[in-house]
Amino acid sequence: MKNRFRDLPVHVVLIGLCLIWLLPTIGLLVTSLRPVQDINESGWWTIFSPPKGHEEYQSLCAPCHGDDGNAISAADLSDPEVVQNYRRSFSLISALERDINGSPHMGDLPVPDEYQAADIAYKLRTLSGIEKRTTFTLNNYIDALTGYRGKSTYREDCEAGTQSLDLYCDFRDLANPRGMGRAFINSLLVAIPSTFLPILFAAFAAYAFSWMEFKGRQWLFALLVGLQVVPLQMTLIPISRLYAQIGLNGTFLGIWLFHTGFGLPYAIYLMRNFLGSLPHEIFESAYLDGASHWTAFYKLAIPLSIPALASLAIFQFLWIWNDLLVALVFLGGQHPVMTYQIGNMVTSLGSGWHLLTAAAFISMALPLLVFFALQRYFVRGMLAGSVKG
Amino acid sequence: MGAEAGDELTLLYQWSGSEEERLNEILKPLVDACGIVLKPESTRDQALLDTKVQAGTPPDVAFWNVAQLVQYEDMLKPMDTLGAHGENYADFFKDPGTVNGKWLGLPVKADIKTIIWYSPVVFEVKGYTVPTTWQELETLVDEMVANGDIPWSMGMESGDATGWTGTDFVQDIMLVQQGPDYVLGLISGDIPFNDAGVKQAWETYGKWATDPIYTIGGAQGTLSTGFLDAIYKVFSDPPEAMMVKQSGFAGGEVASQYPELQYGTDYDFFAVPGAQGLQGGADWLMAFNDSPAVQALIAYLSSTEGGAAWAKASFDLSPNVGAAGNYVDPALVKKGEALATTSGFTPDIGDTIPGGFGSAEFKAISDYVNGADLDAILDSLAAVQAEALQ
Repeated sequence: MKNRFRDLPVHVVLIGLCLIWLLPTIGLLVTSLRPVQDINESGWWTIFSPPKGHEEYQSLCAPCHGDDGNAISAADLSDPEVVQNYRRSFSLISALERDINGSPHMGDLPVPDEYQAADIAYKLRTLSGIEKRTTFTLNNYIDALTGYRGKSTYREDCEAGTQSLDLYCDFRDLANPRGMGRAFINSLLVAIPSTFLPILFAAFAAYAFSWMEFKGRQWLFALLVGLQVVPLQMTLIPISRLYAQIGLNGTFLGIWLFHTGFGLPYAIYLMRNFLGSLPHEIFESAYLDGASHWTAFYKLAIPLSIPALASLAIFQFLWIWNDLLVALVFLGGQHPVMTYQIGNMVTSLGSGWHLLTAAAFISMALPLLVFFALQRYFVRGMLAGSVKG
Repeated sequence: MGAEAGDELTLLYQWSGSEEERLNEILKPLVDACGIVLKPESTRDQALLDTKVQAGTPPDVAFWNVAQLVQYEDMLKPMDTLGAHGENYADFFKDPGTVNGKWLGLPVKADIKTIIWYSPVVFEVKGYTVPTTWQELETLVDEMVANGDIPWSMGMESGDATGWTGTDFVQDIMLVQQGPDYVLGLISGDIPFNDAGVKQAWETYGKWATDPIYTIGGAQGTLSTGFLDAIYKVFSDPPEAMMVKQSGFAGGEVASQYPELQYGTDYDFFAVPGAQGLQGGADWLMAFNDSPAVQALIAYLSSTEGGAAWAKASFDLSPNVGAAGNYVDPALVKKGEALATTSGFTPDIGDTIPGGFGSAEFKAISDYVNGADLDAILDSLAAVQAEALQ
């Protein structure tokens, strides 16, 4: 009991820090679930305020027109054609200032000011169905996944049959080259081999550097580790030229090779440190029993280094999943990956970022899954290669 | 044309989203007729274009800014050798695309900037009339202030490019106060940027842009309000301001933000009153390759059919004469008429002077709105201008 109170300040600080970190993400999530017009009009925190215009309508209009607006049949406020004429505050105010049947429209009540009138006009648009907005919608996600780029939403266009030529309005739209669905697959096609290949080669190399005697081993290792300092950006143009000559630009093979090449130095370094720290005795007794290097590698080294492999895989995977630069240069628009596609959700004028918020969450989904599934390897991964006790 | 089915054509452009869809619509007849396979890439990162060109793998065709025509002068194929129909373009559209006597850039998409957006319904209710002279505009602005309305929504936040709506506004004021020849003189360097005429225009702008009775939020509002939000604020309910000076694209933004509004009654535009000529910009097609597919594309886009297809797709204005009479969107019809009948056309000063003058100008106007000394700002801009044009 005493201990818990002693830790309380720490916990409060930690929770506070977590909230500060999480707040922008929560804002993004809420925004991604709101209709585009709402996003442009008001901040995400306004979802907690009561529906616009409801209160004003109840106090000023409901006594005569009824809660649903249809109490007076001659002025049915649930009829879109009637409301069409009063859809904005100005037209509404001028109507309210006019007399009906010789007496003031509002009776004893004051005519609402333009802010109240705007809210009431919004309420009328909702009542009559001119305004179809709901507080939350999945449309942004659907539009982002299918690559919908029209003026309303994918669902509305498909219901009305006015979708653009490259949409089918069925599950095939998930493969639309402009959508996040296709980009998700492309990102997987890039990330999985680009994670697997360097780790495979790094494991071979690390075993050799740790347990095979050959001349110049330390020099070669030092050279490989030293390669980590080569900045990736510097090599974009030469490698792009080389790829152009051998026809690898815009192919998955090209980007796999690039990521493998740049992932290897660090992967070898990390794996070598891990394998090198395993007890000599295990390997020596294996060799005495007649095990070849190959047997020792896949029967001993690999099973023992699962934690290192996992943490390496996580980091390599996340880096490739989040990479834009390499994908942009070597794959570009031919096989758009998620990062590329997210950037293209917004037009050159900066509109369309409701799609961007949804797209960001779609691209976040897999890393989150990987993180929670392999959480315990994260800490080990961060400590791998550091001081050993 | 000689293009065969299956020929590939790589394109690089800055359009994305719904803009890309319009382009596809325009190119569809060509694709259907010739069987060309389009390999488009979309990015707003100029580094990608530069990387591709330096790596020796430029796109066949890039749609980019006028400054790249100068940058890649030696690598671009002249339009006349590619079968472009030059007769379909006015001289003031061909001139900016001509470098050292070679016609290197085909203007494909144009927008006019010298217009002011407003709400006719609101004007009617409030008793305001559309001004026809600059004097009337100033009177109208003061009348609005007297009534307690805020006349302008001048927000100009736009990330790295914050300030561009301000420099557009100033250039329009110069078209009113000095005329198009003066603006062209600034672009050619004959008139230094610290000239008295420039200062007068900046001061006219500054009077409105920094005062909360003239624009939403005063100087801070101008600096921190996004340019799209600035458009929305004029058409929100109730409106926060009466007018916004913004290029032709603003209409499309209003339509998507407020689908219940109708062009012509709820939102409309008028030309900046008293402006002599129009300010506008264009996106330029440049060809790094002269393959049959490229020639087919250029022949198509520069033909009258291509201009008509562009107009029908409602993808802004087309400088191609074939576009005239083919616009379906009423706002574009009106803009197209303005463009077709204009007495002069000046490109954006900042886009046209090379060597980073544009971003210097953006920064300068942000500093000015923020309260920095105008003479010092214009002197340093004149230095940048002189260096860029020497």
